[in-house]
Amino acid sequence: MSLAMSGPEAPPAPPAIPRAVPIQYGTALLVLVLVTGPLLPVLLQSVLDGALYDAEYNLTLANFARLARTEGFGLVLLNTAALAAMTTVVAQVVGTLAAILFGRTDLPMARLLSEFFLWPLYLSALVLSFGWYAVYGPAGYATLLWQSALGDAPWTLYSLTGMAVIAGVSQAPLAYIYCLSSASITDPSLEEAARVSGSGTFRTLWRITLPLMKPAIAYSAVLNFTIGLELLSIPLIFGDPAGITVLTTFLFNNGISSPRPDHGLVATAAALMLAVVCFLVWLQGRMLGNTRRFITLGGKATRPRPFRLGGLRWPLFILAGLYILATVIAPIGVLVLRAFTAFLSPMIPLAEVLTTANFVQIFDYPVYSRAVWNSFVVSLVGGAIATALIGLVAIIVHRSEFRFRGALHYLALFPRAVPGVVAGIGFFYAFALLPGLGFLRNSIWILVIAFTMRFIPAGIGAVAPMLLQVSHDLDRAARVQGADWWTTSRRILLPLMRPALVGCFTILFISFFKEYSTAIFLFAPGSEVIGTALLQLWVQGEVGLVAALATIQVAVIAVCVAAVRGIFGVKLHG
Amino acid sequence: MADLTIQGLTKRFGGVTAVEDVNLHVADGEFVTLLGPSGCGKSTTLAAVAGLDRADGGRIQVGDRVYFDAARGIYLPPEARSCGLVFQSYALWPHMTVADNVAFPLTLRKVSSAERKRRIEEVLALVEMERYAGRYPHELSGGQQQRVALARTLVYRPAILLLDEPLSNLDAKLRDRARAWLAELRTRLGLTTIYVTHDQIEALSLSDRIVVMNGGHIAQIGAPQEIYEHPADPFVADFIGTTNFLPARVLGEASAGGRALLELADGQRLEAVAERPAAAGSRVTLAFRPEQMHVAPPGARMEGGSVLATRVTSRSYVGGQWQVGLDLAGAALRLEARQPPTEDRLDLWLPHVGGILFRGGADVAA
Repeated sequence: MSLAMSGPEAPPAPPAIPRAVPIQYGTALLVLVLVTGPLLPVLLQSVLDGALYDAEYNLTLANFARLARTEGFGLVLLNTAALAAMTTVVAQVVGTLAAILFGRTDLPMARLLSEFFLWPLYLSALVLSFGWYAVYGPAGYATLLWQSALGDAPWTLYSLTGMAVIAGVSQAPLAYIYCLSSASITDPSLEEAARVSGSGTFRTLWRITLPLMKPAIAYSAVLNFTIGLELLSIPLIFGDPAGITVLTTFLFNNGISSPRPDHGLVATAAALMLAVVCFLVWLQGRMLGNTRRFITLGGKATRPRPFRLGGLRWPLFILAGLYILATVIAPIGVLVLRAFTAFLSPMIPLAEVLTTANFVQIFDYPVYSRAVWNSFVVSLVGGAIATALIGLVAIIVHRSEFRFRGALHYLALFPRAVPGVVAGIGFFYAFALLPGLGFLRNSIWILVIAFTMRFIPAGIGAVAPMLLQVSHDLDRAARVQGADWWTTSRRILLPLMRPALVGCFTILFISFFKEYSTAIFLFAPGSEVIGTALLQLWVQGEVGLVAALATIQVAVIAVCVAAVRGIFGVKLHG
Repeated sequence: MADLTIQGLTKRFGGVTAVEDVNLHVADGEFVTLLGPSGCGKSTTLAAVAGLDRADGGRIQVGDRVYFDAARGIYLPPEARSCGLVFQSYALWPHMTVADNVAFPLTLRKVSSAERKRRIEEVLALVEMERYAGRYPHELSGGQQQRVALARTLVYRPAILLLDEPLSNLDAKLRDRARAWLAELRTRLGLTTIYVTHDQIEALSLSDRIVVMNGGHIAQIGAPQEIYEHPADPFVADFIGTTNFLPARVLGEASAGGRALLELADGQRLEAVAERPAAAGSRVTLAFRPEQMHVAPPGARMEGGSVLATRVTSRSYVGGQWQVGLDLAGAALRLEARQPPTEDRLDLWLPHVGGILFRGGADVAA
């Protein structure tokens, strides 16, 4: 037997510096630059009396005092807090009700309704705002219908309440997802025990089901409050015309739109926002730790028996259907319809105004066709680059002996705490400041870099769970057989992570495709994307072109979501 | 092939010491089993040899290559050690066929493709899996996966073979067959092998020597028969084979190899050969195997042993024979008998020779 006869073969001797070292340190350094690069200029600028790019300046705390004295800044803070709080209330109430109704009862067609309910999650708040404007705005379809039948419409979107409703409805899916996933891992026998002991449907819901969802409701409330603070599109579209300013629009108006921006003031406000959001994200982390303590009790994921609604089944179905129609189907449908018409009004027959002129015009103007093209390039190429980086970071964090992997993990998740507006301002400063980066400043690559930084945490969230499910024995086996860390990662771990990487790429593609809040601080002529073009067209009052461009965005995202869920079966949320 | 030397191996996880001061030498071609309950440190020791965990102290050497030396700061990463490790989970890569799995270590060693093909065929024939080369791991049974895992390890001729409970995921019947097959294979290959298991039958039937571990320490090293017949302490006696423990007090002092007179808690007396000297008045525990005890026929003579009165506490049919639970002076014993006892009381015959006397009272066996 030759196996027994031959002596052992040594694997190739390890080099003095293993390959893992440059790869791991290089990746960590890249993430460090990516994350701190935009933050340091903001923090620095907030304590300088001159502009960062001036020849000389002094350290000062005067900016904070100046900000506090700025007229109306108190009202800005108040508006911001009120909008975020009201948004949260709307989102939590709607989301929790939907979770119970669609997820836990025998409501007819609950699956279909929940699919529609989740749609705002995939779309950008910018597009949704336009949709709401087209339906419920002063010249909106529903508003005109109401006026012709009943007189003045009792609603206005140009108020804190109006904005909170739009934002709340578009963020309700988040509350829905968290409540539902908490419900699916609680022990169903808790509810069954209540029913067996004689408690009726609604009493069980109120006394058992809802309290069990409490941790999920609380966590998603903080999440939604944070997103409410970071809102830019809705206050920009509905708040500014009505004179309601929040922190994000304050930053936008003073930093970008203003001909002579006051950098000290902008950076200080941005730093303030950064601090608040950091605190909220820290709070989320703590709460998640706590909720885990609550909900892992049941352990096994079982589908609890649905509650019987009895006679209320159809009335509730009609109510839910109306809600979906009013908040999801109508805004998106009317927006798409508007894209295909010259003018949209209930008074004019549709056949007379149908046209493709809006799309023709979009592709006739190089600026707008370029924006569509740029969006595709940024999302496809940028998404692929970011996916590669995120896959590497995930492997280093979870599957290596890298000394600073804990710090790298923290760093990679930190952009959760950086609002898009702040990241935009930060990258703007960073690229203005550093010599030699000018060529990037007017290209789409600055967007790729900024978007990558923004969405590293989302990507990690898509990849890490799968990586954690891959048995450690699989990579250990490769190591013992003579493969170094890098070969093991490439030949064993990456192929096994393929579905997760596809999911990560899709999430990044969609996120990059609809992102606008960071981009509006960074784009230049030639590097427009759909999001920035939408805002520009909106300012010019080109509603038809806005609708057409928004329709393109919705269509691309819809195809993408359908393809990934249909072909790969990848879950994009939860 | 090479011999393995482990000196003063210590490994801590946080504040918990998993392995402390383990010393072991495995000769070239020897098959040594690390045996013990879960948490005894056997898998930690194996992981330290393979390089999967970096130990905190001690020295590991295979042949003339130092794998690990805490004092000199030497630590070879696992890929530089040329160990062969078969995992309890088999760890076959699910995205590769059987042939690709086996080819992986050869590709790493830059073996030419013709030679690679020849060796894959050879090693798959050795484990009788040549017909399954194109299958994916999930298309194989547990026993087949285990053979592929072994083939993937043997194909690169490791300096030392490490097996981590390779049979524990198989069902009982398959495990018996796999064990017989493994025993045959080891005589053919003659590789230096460390085998980790908590199954005493695997340990006894496969090993040249057994290392019994307990609480991160080595409790005893010896040939299977030696471990079974002369356990060093009650833990080893209890872990290898079913053992009955009988607490007693020494009445007359006994020298090593001499006969000691013992008294039980209820006043009954018996004799036993003491391997180690036992002082008069000291508390001891007498250990013996179920097969050493017999039911004494009525009026039997005490020749060569002692007859003790016991109370029957339980009886259950286990197929072919009966397992009888007895109470002897407060100690619970288990007896194997052809016939179930008909009465509540039963006389037990215990030989003078064959039992083992340990120092210490009832708590030593707990």
